[in-house]
Amino acid sequence: MSVFVDQERCIACHACEVACKRLHGGKSNVSLQIVDGKAALPLLCRQCEKPACVAACYAGALVKESDAVAFHAEKCTGCDLCLLACPFGVIWSEKLAYKCDLCSGEPVCVATCPTGALAEDYQAVTQVIRSRAARAFRRGFR
Amino acid sequence: MKLGSPMSQALVPTICPYCGAGCGFYIKVEEGRATGIKYMPDHPVSRGSLCSKGNAALEVLRHPGRLQHPLKKSGSGFIPISWEEALDLAAEGLGQALQDFGPQDLGFLGSSKCTNEENYLFQKLARSLGSPNVDNCARLCHASTVVGLGKSMGACATTNPVSDLANSRCIFIIGSNLAENHPAVARWVLEAKDAGSTIIVADPRRTPTSWLAEIFLQIKPGTDLALLNGMMHVIVEENLFNRKFLEERTRGFEALADSLKEYTPERAAAITGVPAGDIMRAARAYARSPASATVYSMGVTQHAGGTDNVQALANLFLICGHIGRPGTGIFPLRGQNNVQGACDMGTLTEFYPGYRRPEDPRTPEIFGQAWGGSRRLPGHCGLTALEMMDASREGRLRAMYIMGEDPVNSDPHASRTREALEALDFLVVQDIFLTDTARLADVVLPAAAWAEKEGTFTSTERRVQWICRAVSPPGEARPDLWIVTEIARRMDLGWEQRTAEEVLEEIKSLVPTYRALSREMLRREGFIWIHSTEGYYPTRRKGSPILHQAGFPTPDGKALLAPVHYRPPAEETSPERPLFLTTGRLGAHYNAGSMTLRSPSLLDIEPQLFVELNPSDALARGIGDGDGVVVHTARGDAHALARITERVASGVVFLPFHFPGVNALTLDVRDPQAKIPELKVAACDVRRA
Repeated sequence: MSVFVDQERCIACHACEVACKRLHGGKSNVSLQIVDGKAALPLLCRQCEKPACVAACYAGALVKESDAVAFHAEKCTGCDLCLLACPFGVIWSEKLAYKCDLCSGEPVCVATCPTGALAEDYQAVTQVIRSRAARAFRRGFR
Repeated sequence: MKLGSPMSQALVPTICPYCGAGCGFYIKVEEGRATGIKYMPDHPVSRGSLCSKGNAALEVLRHPGRLQHPLKKSGSGFIPISWEEALDLAAEGLGQALQDFGPQDLGFLGSSKCTNEENYLFQKLARSLGSPNVDNCARLCHASTVVGLGKSMGACATTNPVSDLANSRCIFIIGSNLAENHPAVARWVLEAKDAGSTIIVADPRRTPTSWLAEIFLQIKPGTDLALLNGMMHVIVEENLFNRKFLEERTRGFEALADSLKEYTPERAAAITGVPAGDIMRAARAYARSPASATVYSMGVTQHAGGTDNVQALANLFLICGHIGRPGTGIFPLRGQNNVQGACDMGTLTEFYPGYRRPEDPRTPEIFGQAWGGSRRLPGHCGLTALEMMDASREGRLRAMYIMGEDPVNSDPHASRTREALEALDFLVVQDIFLTDTARLADVVLPAAAWAEKEGTFTSTERRVQWICRAVSPPGEARPDLWIVTEIARRMDLGWEQRTAEEVLEEIKSLVPTYRALSREMLRREGFIWIHSTEGYYPTRRKGSPILHQAGFPTPDGKALLAPVHYRPPAEETSPERPLFLTTGRLGAHYNAGSMTLRSPSLLDIEPQLFVELNPSDALARGIGDGDGVVVHTARGDAHALARITERVASGVVFLPFHFPGVNALTLDVRDPQAKIPELKVAACDVRRA
């Protein structure tokens, strides 16, 4: 599983960050980026199918488990190679690495998002985005 | 609750203490301590979501800086005293001023963050002592809504439930950054947008709300009325108005149409800075859609012509007939959790509970009988919040009782408010933190926060919701209800200590809109009060919660279309102060900051005051991104970090008003009708610190 982002719905309210921080000892595993004052995007682990971070982690702290990238902090050596490897920049480090752990299957960021910009249901998100695209196409692009 | 969890663990339902959206959540309580938040997926407004402030709400409860003991001023500091001594001092101080100067020299500021029951008792205390001077900070946010919509259609409340925005085919948002300030409302706007509705946003600043817009009208600050009249000009010229609705439900269209002739899109464009073509597109989209909703907030109301702005907005939805049906309506979004309730409870000088006018001879009679006091109740309006400050500076007001407000940081031209409070003979402040206002008090009374007491809040959509007590207040802090009653007892009003539920029974007997509610209703999903020309009834018993479906609560049931004209902002720019300053809120902070500036996870997001400056204005002044700058107006200076961005147009700067010092800059020129100050526009300059 993974948390998907419908960027058109993000209103930069920072709820995901604060909620994540609340459940993860003051450290947020999601980072809201505001782009040029014109759009916002919450960045968090995409649970890659072929994760570069797992390939880079010689300690075996990052491993692909079923359909997610799991992180075992007790094995982390704090070498930060995973930060270097991650193409999305969504692993951070404070002595040890930290990243989205999907809140044991019930991501708090998805639950708290006021606008539904974050979702676990891939089908539902893609359906919304497809119909949005279809409508834009019908109206003609401006 | 999970099996095997200790018995002392509980989930207590509550309502968020921040904005007026009224989102619900549960507080996890373990061994008497609030340890976590659980979302409430079946809540009708928030559907289980919470914004950043809601997620951080418990940080305020557990904050070490909470007031724990009553305090007495001693030299330049405070010393803790017992409740007995504090209450005696408070009653003596107010009683002395009452005896020496009379009730007109007493001032009372209630709070739109306190419950209905607390506000009800607070204004009852003021009026029972004979003082008409009772107000709350709704004066600074929606006073122009109360007056303007009252004049236009006889009622000032939000007409449709927030979730009904999803049924709109066009949503016109003006002067509201709801994406940051009411994120739960943005959900319903996005639902409508994804169903194909057109979103129009008018704001001087590019905000997360404007990101949602198909048509964004970046107006110059203070030119809202020219935009609205320009849109109406187009609607009238192109015959896009709703003739049937105009004939059946309104008066005054001819005069309005006449007054609009001069507002050609070209002239509106010249005033507002928005291209005429965009004004026409917006007008057509709004008028042609089968159901358009109108959402507004402080950007419309906080002007010297705030009442006129609101009336222009009313004219717009009335000529198009966009009211009284699903997907239409007017949404004056309330900034605080209980602005609507504080106004319903009569914590406004021009209204007794239930919006009864004091000048009506029946009003003092009705309440005199119900309250059974010996003193005559005031039969006239008293001083508004800001007029109390004027009166104090002029020696016409001697003592004040402030409950849960921080006017030193929230009033415009705040240095004068500080002077005013310092000039008082006696000041008692009741709050959860030692705010800048409390620091000026003779006696400070520590109050319970929202999760430490019981009562009702009324949200922006008129939903009355019950809050349960989850935890005990820290130290000796007590619920406001108890404190107000104790002071009244010491002032010989003969009150008994009562629970919130008992006070609510008294409110129900006097406020028609609340008459039908019951505790069970409140507990389940709240209660939306509605009224029609036939009377008031609860939504559960009859029909839909949409107001004005058949008529307006005016004498003839028709709404009034009143011509209003554009006037430039009260303070024009000049060579010394060539920029327009406008203020607003951020997603992570809240009002004067007394709560959010003490909340670590919110401070992480926005730790300090910044000023948004257009790159061209920054270049001309040699200011770089992140530089320390001074923002200067005729009233004072504020230090901030420069944030260089195209969010603001050239010639406009933006300051978030949550940080101390911002309101030292703002302008105290008031709307003659609603007495709301022009907080949104001032002339300023910015220079390197």
